Amino acid sequence: MKSLNRHISWLIPAICIVALAVGAWRATRSSEGFDLQGFGTLPVVANGRIQPLDALARNRLLSIYGKQSVPGENPPPSPAGWLAELAFKPQDADQRPIFLIHHDEVLGLLELKQEDGKSFSFKRLAPRLGEMAGEASRIAIKDSQTWSPYEKALMKLWRNLGNYQQLKFAIAHPESLGLESDLTLLLQKAREALAETEKRERGEKFDAAAVEAATARMQVLLEWSTQTEVFTKPPSMGGLAAEWLKFPDAASAAIDNGELDPSTLAFARMGDAWRSGDVAIFNTTVSEYLSWLRNYRGSDLRKTRAESTFNHLAPFYACMGVYVAAFLCAAISWLLPGGDLRRAAFRLLLVGLAIHTVGLIVRMTLEGRPPVTNLYSSAVFIGWGAIVLSVMLELFYKNAIGTAVASMTGFGTLIIAHHLSLSGDTLEMMRAVLDTNFWLATHVIVITLGYSATFLAGAIAIAYIIRRIFGKIPESTATSMRGMVYGVICFATLASFVGTVLGGIWADQSWGRFWGWDPKENGALLIVIWNVIILHARWGGMVKERGMMVMAVFGNIVTSWSWFGTNMLGIGLHSYGFTDAAFFWLSAFILSQLVVMAIGIIQGRLNAKPSGSQPIST
Amino acid sequence: MSSPRNRKGIVGSVVAVLSSLRLTVLLLSLCMILIFVATLLQVEMGIHEVQLKFFRSWIAWFDIVPGEKRFPIPFPGGMLLGALLLLNLLAAHIRRFKLSWGKAGMLLVHTGIVLMLLGELFTAVLSVESQIRLDEGETSNYSLSPREIELALIGPGENGIETVNAIPFGRLREGASFGFDGFELRVTHFFRNSHIEDERLAGADYDPMRANRGMGVSLAVKGKPRETAMDLRDLTSVFVEIISPDGKSQGRWLLSNALAGVQEFEVNGKTWKMAIRQQRFYHPFSIRLLDFTHERYLGTQIPKNFSSRIRLLNPETGEDRETLIYMNHPLRYGGLTFYQAGFDNNDSTSILQVVRNPAWTMPYVSCAMVGIGLVWIFSQHLIKAFARRRTFAA
Repeated sequence: MKSLNRHISWLIPAICIVALAVGAWRATRSSEGFDLQGFGTLPVVANGRIQPLDALARNRLLSIYGKQSVPGENPPPSPAGWLAELAFKPQDADQRPIFLIHHDEVLGLLELKQEDGKSFSFKRLAPRLGEMAGEASRIAIKDSQTWSPYEKALMKLWRNLGNYQQLKFAIAHPESLGLESDLTLLLQKAREALAETEKRERGEKFDAAAVEAATARMQVLLEWSTQTEVFTKPPSMGGLAAEWLKFPDAASAAIDNGELDPSTLAFARMGDAWRSGDVAIFNTTVSEYLSWLRNYRGSDLRKTRAESTFNHLAPFYACMGVYVAAFLCAAISWLLPGGDLRRAAFRLLLVGLAIHTVGLIVRMTLEGRPPVTNLYSSAVFIGWGAIVLSVMLELFYKNAIGTAVASMTGFGTLIIAHHLSLSGDTLEMMRAVLDTNFWLATHVIVITLGYSATFLAGAIAIAYIIRRIFGKIPESTATSMRGMVYGVICFATLASFVGTVLGGIWADQSWGRFWGWDPKENGALLIVIWNVIILHARWGGMVKERGMMVMAVFGNIVTSWSWFGTNMLGIGLHSYGFTDAAFFWLSAFILSQLVVMAIGIIQGRLNAKPSGSQPIST
Repeated sequence: MSSPRNRKGIVGSVVAVLSSLRLTVLLLSLCMILIFVATLLQVEMGIHEVQLKFFRSWIAWFDIVPGEKRFPIPFPGGMLLGALLLLNLLAAHIRRFKLSWGKAGMLLVHTGIVLMLLGELFTAVLSVESQIRLDEGETSNYSLSPREIELALIGPGENGIETVNAIPFGRLREGASFGFDGFELRVTHFFRNSHIEDERLAGADYDPMRANRGMGVSLAVKGKPRETAMDLRDLTSVFVEIISPDGKSQGRWLLSNALAGVQEFEVNGKTWKMAIRQQRFYHPFSIRLLDFTHERYLGTQIPKNFSSRIRLLNPETGEDRETLIYMNHPLRYGGLTFYQAGFDNNDSTSILQVVRNPAWTMPYVSCAMVGIGLVWIFSQHLIKAFARRRTFAA
């Protein structure tokens, strides 16, 4: 038993690593049937960047349905499979209930009731599309700040429907049942028409009907081009990124070139094979197109392959599991004698941190940017920063408190990140103002570390207050927790101050003003001031141990306000990300923190002789 | 009559309060409340108004019921809090001043903070912001104030050189009159922000006053609350009368920055021009916009870059050169900084923000000082903590 105890500190992390490896193997192995893995790797340009079809499908599915799995009968095994179905067999995809409708009035508009469920298929909504279009065009001209909850819900559904419809036209045309033969015919007829026009120009007798038919066909391509925002045909070797073409435009270009280019031909052939259920042709077409890409667009393919693998491995989801395990080990370690479980917990945390770090690095490489570029990545990075700081605390104090708090913070921020990812592509392109790696790497990183540290101090303080519910904290633990919170607040002060001022300097460089009292700037300033208040209150002996803990919990409120609350105001240069659900959760979070603070204050009142009445020593 | 001992006691306790950490904490807490409330109010009032009313004022007035303009309660404004914090900081340092390595970090941090507060003050007082709006191919040697307007009166000149008289916004109000060579200009109606409409379409809420001369003859005006959005500016309108020396009115004109161009009138056979326009700042050099580009990411409306290729012409220095202004890369020239601020007219007009801020280096210096100071203080704490642990371990 004793030897098992000793081995436990290695055994638990080892089991965890094996489980992760198995998970990774299962996620990346190719399935039987249609080669969706290969299909998902194919590069396209959407949302302004080169991405694999897999990412396009995943992000659309997430923002429409909120999940990466597909509902309905015989669901495709992956988002890429769903995209293939949507493009190649839309009548099947249209029956899958993926549109979420919660708002009563939106349901009413669509002649649906609450009893009908929460998710609906395109087919179910189709009869009322005209009604929706009218409402949408009425709302669209209004200032989005003034939209009512019903209008917001309707516009979100309308946007989702639009995005869904666009995918049908991205790599196929829903009305063509044999795209390869249709396109070949188009080329042939166009050539004939061209010959006829030349005849006409020479003044000879010509076939007017042929010219007219070809013009009508071209008209279809032109219209098709307005129905998609996805670019499928890569530029020729060494060509510029701006030379990507949409599928229908590539088909039009083929008329001049005399033949279809490899990408257009490949997608057309894949569609035909998918419809006829011919796995062999589908897979050969995918692999032939992949090898063409390897030769001519090697770097694009490497990028999309990396992103697709990254999406399949989903490192941040894996981290969440590891952090929960680390937290459980840490919590149990307080109940058991010996430090083995504590060490196991710490090693689990390190495993999680390693995956978290690799995930961040891959994202940075894919984007060619520093780690924090939007709200989603800030959530991922805040968790990472808090964990790195906690690892240092744990190395110093060795009492599992750092591990427990870090794993909870990491888990919490990754949950937040997951919900933020529902709003769309998390690797989106940077708007012009933010397009500067220097300031993203300095101001944004430092200020985000300030958030991390303030949250970490708050999290340790919460642990302290909860621990005190169960009785007096041993003096040694209390001393170390006090030291942790104090140290982390010192770091938070430094990082939030320097980060805020660097932001001011960026503003001075970019807009000619150091400080503009913009909500986000004010939010950052509030964090700095609050940390400074805690330090001065502590130095002046105005608060003791318990008071500092309660104040540190308030730091969570201040930071969450700066992080999310300020974006909800919808003003200023920093208002870049906002969802309505976030408002509810922010309020709930603030309320929970107030409850913890109240408990902390009441504890002090109840204890006639508070445990934290030591002289100030810091 | 108090005894000297007693007086010393009073002075002592005042100094004690002024230099106390309790005051620091109190003032900083008030700062937090001020900043938080001011942030929320920006939704309603706009950033510019909030800055003036809360941060650049001594007393800020909070409405108890938001939106209701009744029962305002006074709250210390940004200037007052900044001044008190400065006093608190100085008092504390004077009282506890001790030159030692231990205190050096604190001293550095606080000096940095003082510099930063002063820098903000200097910026508030000294910095001037204006804008240049250029169509492609256009040259300009002046920039326009984004908010302040002036009433310009352009007099007949000699040798083709006109003299411009500008009445600043602050002096424009109802009933004000200004004497000129041979006539008097009287402001009869003044609208800080307004909407102008064809009188046939104007409703009952429009002012009954009409102009009887110039462009505004068939136009009606109504007053509007001031604009709060950052990208909107007030359209100021005034009705003016030109009075001859004999006291006879020459007519009534409607002037507004909503009306483009100048309006003319004649006095003693000389032609004068007048207009309400954005206040102008003239520069000793001029700028010509050669080309404006607005790049978007492929297949999206997400802006990738805005840039203005300009030609800088300075007859004094003989400069005549091209340069590029784009996002995050302003042009610093002649004590001014030119930023790419916006665009218009289907990407053929560029708007450059022009800023003169002599105190712009102060935040850089103070940031470095505070940063180094904090690192200094906290590394001392860290060393102490390690030393303590070593004694525990031993």
